[in-house]
Amino acid sequence: MPSYIVKRCLTMIPTLIIISILVFIIIQLPPGDYLESYIAELESQGESVDPQKIAFLRQEYGLDKPLWEQYYVWISGFVQGDLGYSFEYNLPVAEVVGDKMWLTIAVSFVTIFVTWLIAFPIGMYSATHPYSWGDYGLTFLGFLGLATPNFLLALVMLYLANQYFGTSIGGLMDSEYINQPWSLDKAKSVLAHLWIPVVVIGTSGTAGMIRRLRANLMDELRKPYVVTGRAKGLGEFKLLTKYPLRLSLNFFIADIGSLLPSVISGAEVVAVVLSLPTTGPLLLSALQSQDMYLAGSFLMFLAILTVVGVLISDIALAMLDPRIRLQGGMQK
Amino acid sequence: MKFILSSVLICSCLLSSLSAVAQLLPEIPSLEQAVKDGTLPAMQQRLPINPAKADFTNKTIGQYGGSIRMLMGKSKDIRMMTVYGYARLVGYDEKLQLKADILEKVDVEEGRIFTLHLRAGHKWSDGVEFTSEDFRFFWQDIATHPVLSPYGPPHEMMRSEKIPLFEVIDKYTVRYTWQQPNPYFLPALAGPSPLFIYMPAHYMKQFHADHTSKDEMEHQIELAKKRNWRGVFVSKGRQYKLTNPELPTLQPWVNTTSLPSERFVFKRNPFFHRVDPQGQQLPYVDEIIMNISSSGLVPAKTGSGESDLQARYLRLDNYTFLKAGENNNNYKVNLWGTGRGAHIALYPNLTAKDPKWRALMQNADFRRALSLGVNREEINQVIYFGLALPMVNTVLPDSPLYKEKYAQSYAQFDPVSANKLLDTINLHRRDARGIRLFPDGSPVEILVQTAGESTEETDVLALVKDNWRRIGIQMYIKPIQREVLRNRIFSGAAIMTTWFGLPNGLPVAQMSPQELAPTRQDQLAWSQWGRHYETKEGESPTLPKVKKLVELNEAWTRAATDDEKTEIWHQMLEIHASQVYSIGLVSAILQPLVVNKALRNVPEKGFFNWDPGAFFGIYNMPSFWYATDKEPK
Repeated sequence: MPSYIVKRCLTMIPTLIIISILVFIIIQLPPGDYLESYIAELESQGESVDPQKIAFLRQEYGLDKPLWEQYYVWISGFVQGDLGYSFEYNLPVAEVVGDKMWLTIAVSFVTIFVTWLIAFPIGMYSATHPYSWGDYGLTFLGFLGLATPNFLLALVMLYLANQYFGTSIGGLMDSEYINQPWSLDKAKSVLAHLWIPVVVIGTSGTAGMIRRLRANLMDELRKPYVVTGRAKGLGEFKLLTKYPLRLSLNFFIADIGSLLPSVISGAEVVAVVLSLPTTGPLLLSALQSQDMYLAGSFLMFLAILTVVGVLISDIALAMLDPRIRLQGGMQK
Repeated sequence: MKFILSSVLICSCLLSSLSAVAQLLPEIPSLEQAVKDGTLPAMQQRLPINPAKADFTNKTIGQYGGSIRMLMGKSKDIRMMTVYGYARLVGYDEKLQLKADILEKVDVEEGRIFTLHLRAGHKWSDGVEFTSEDFRFFWQDIATHPVLSPYGPPHEMMRSEKIPLFEVIDKYTVRYTWQQPNPYFLPALAGPSPLFIYMPAHYMKQFHADHTSKDEMEHQIELAKKRNWRGVFVSKGRQYKLTNPELPTLQPWVNTTSLPSERFVFKRNPFFHRVDPQGQQLPYVDEIIMNISSSGLVPAKTGSGESDLQARYLRLDNYTFLKAGENNNNYKVNLWGTGRGAHIALYPNLTAKDPKWRALMQNADFRRALSLGVNREEINQVIYFGLALPMVNTVLPDSPLYKEKYAQSYAQFDPVSANKLLDTINLHRRDARGIRLFPDGSPVEILVQTAGESTEETDVLALVKDNWRRIGIQMYIKPIQREVLRNRIFSGAAIMTTWFGLPNGLPVAQMSPQELAPTRQDQLAWSQWGRHYETKEGESPTLPKVKKLVELNEAWTRAATDDEKTEIWHQMLEIHASQVYSIGLVSAILQPLVVNKALRNVPEKGFFNWDPGAFFGIYNMPSFWYATDKEPK
């Protein structure tokens, strides 16, 4: 086991190097650089820019240097914990992302928790009562959530919340609480706004989880050990939770790999529509304006979390499920 | 001696009478406590000895207090406070006349010697006096400093290779002398994004390597995580972008929030230099709050009453929605004018790369035919509720330079004449679809490239496309990203593009006509020629009329009298009207402006324009006030 972990850790290094190069190239792929998109944006608002100032900024930001040199400056800083500098905000990337990270993690955790809370009972119910009215009805609801475009649902909910509850549109709290210390009223305001993104993002995740749990559980329920258990007089609920449910949770652990990065990036599109102060819109606008160090460092951070997440889920799977063999994984 | 004595006497009399007035005037409620505590001097000591009396025609004397909430799409937009606040050395008034504002007066001799007189006792927002030292600091330690300005002083201050002569006359007077007249200087100072020729020297010196010890400077660089001291200096001293809350300013409201944030609070500048006719210090409103939200949500949020003064990010097609929320949410919607020469214009690229297209685009009759082939009234009715003006891209009716013949030149929908014109220029052959053919047999299919971020432009173009089919021209619409669009224009790859028309549709003769001549690379009709003017590289204009425009523009900079300038403007507008360098589709679009019902002194009618106008700037935003003393809800 330890040698497996060490090997996995070592393979992470070249993976991350390749990802970093790819990320950097892809950000640079669209024509122009940050300053050109900056000029274009100003001009669309009717403002004009002094060409001298642009020449000055280009030098200041190091955009006049060759690409490999820019990459080297960025990646050598990144390894030492310096995430670089955001042109858009004129601040170090770490400061720009700083506060937003906590709100993003909060939104993500609440969403994930709510998703589980809804998906588990429904999944278990559908598996134990397959092809019944309840199964079809709940599944239908789940699919409805999956099929409705998130941004549309978000807009509709915003409107309804504003019309019937008087909640201010967008954001995670009423504007007077922004930059204020935490208080009971502020927490209430956050809760009043939080449920919209949670429901919107949650509905799409729920359906997928219900179906997977149902499928896995139904496979297990037909196996002889369940029949044996039942024949020996085990209670239905205990029988369900003690054996088949545990076995059907593999997918759940395997999900950790993709869960980790999504916790800090959040659902971008919904966050943009709802104007959430989370990292999703930040990443999107950084990519649009080619704010390369902000976008690059953020994407690298996501990549690291993905790689680490996959490692954790692999190790956890190996430890929790004795049927999984390490050697098989290595040969692939 | 007698004279000096008497003048001293008069002065002291004046001073005592002034302080007598001061005692009558109540202190600003929100500052009362600070004044009592002694942390802030009384109003009279905070104002300059001769404060700027704001023009209150059609305005009412207000009362203090309240906050104005506004919505912005990005945290970078806080720079709009410098635009809206519009405290300028000299600034435009509502009639677009240049008036001294921060300056007490400015003397201009021969159009090239500018003597600026400061207001004695005028203070920065931190209470330190604003003097000629701040101008000297900018000129010697920034504008002509080899590290900070490797490219020399700002281009508005360069009329030739030689930099102007700068002199400090006394504590409150400075003088700039050019060898030739510089008509760009004062308008640049009055711009929405103004030329700053001063800087708070007492604050900025700590970030300047010439005024700070090496160790201290290195510490500052370390602290700001910058590469060199230049980076530190620039990032601390952004007078336009307001990113540093500690930077002293002369604007009416001072930023108190550092980036990044979703909400910015601007508090009143207790040392602001303007007063109302009763001598009470402006601004009336205590604070401006800018909430950052995604720009797409701004109309919805405004409609639910979350903004007290909003025009940015609102469009005419939001009007009905906004109007519906008027009563429930205690605001009213005004419609202001806009100041661009055209809301949407088509720009044939006269410097297109393809020689076949270049020749065609340079043919005035072809451009005239295209203009005649557009049904402007249809666009106005279908897309703009008939509220816009169906005219070409020229100055607007509110400009003193407007003539109807400019606006209506080739503006009427006349496919018959258009077809005749096209037949005479060797495009008479048509293919099976009825599309005209070049002499070499290829069809005249125009690819119009547009920065298609809104469907509005593509909707308008779809109508034009149908119109042009009737004159045998096929149009294709291609929305592309703005920055890509720019580069395609610069390289000549785009043969026709859309953008708004003249940036300044409300000029007076004293404003530069340079937008009418090829002077900048980012002019869409002739980007190569504009580049040539800017850098002397690339190709120079070939068309005689365009050369004439360049000459006229030069002549304007030398013109001594207003009559001469007016004459030059008319000649240039005339050339544009007859040559149709751009095809204006629709003009004078209205801008919805949402105003809290309690907010006073916001004009019913106005222009929401960048330059001149500075949006709310020329309407003296510090004079806006709330009719109730309650906080707006």
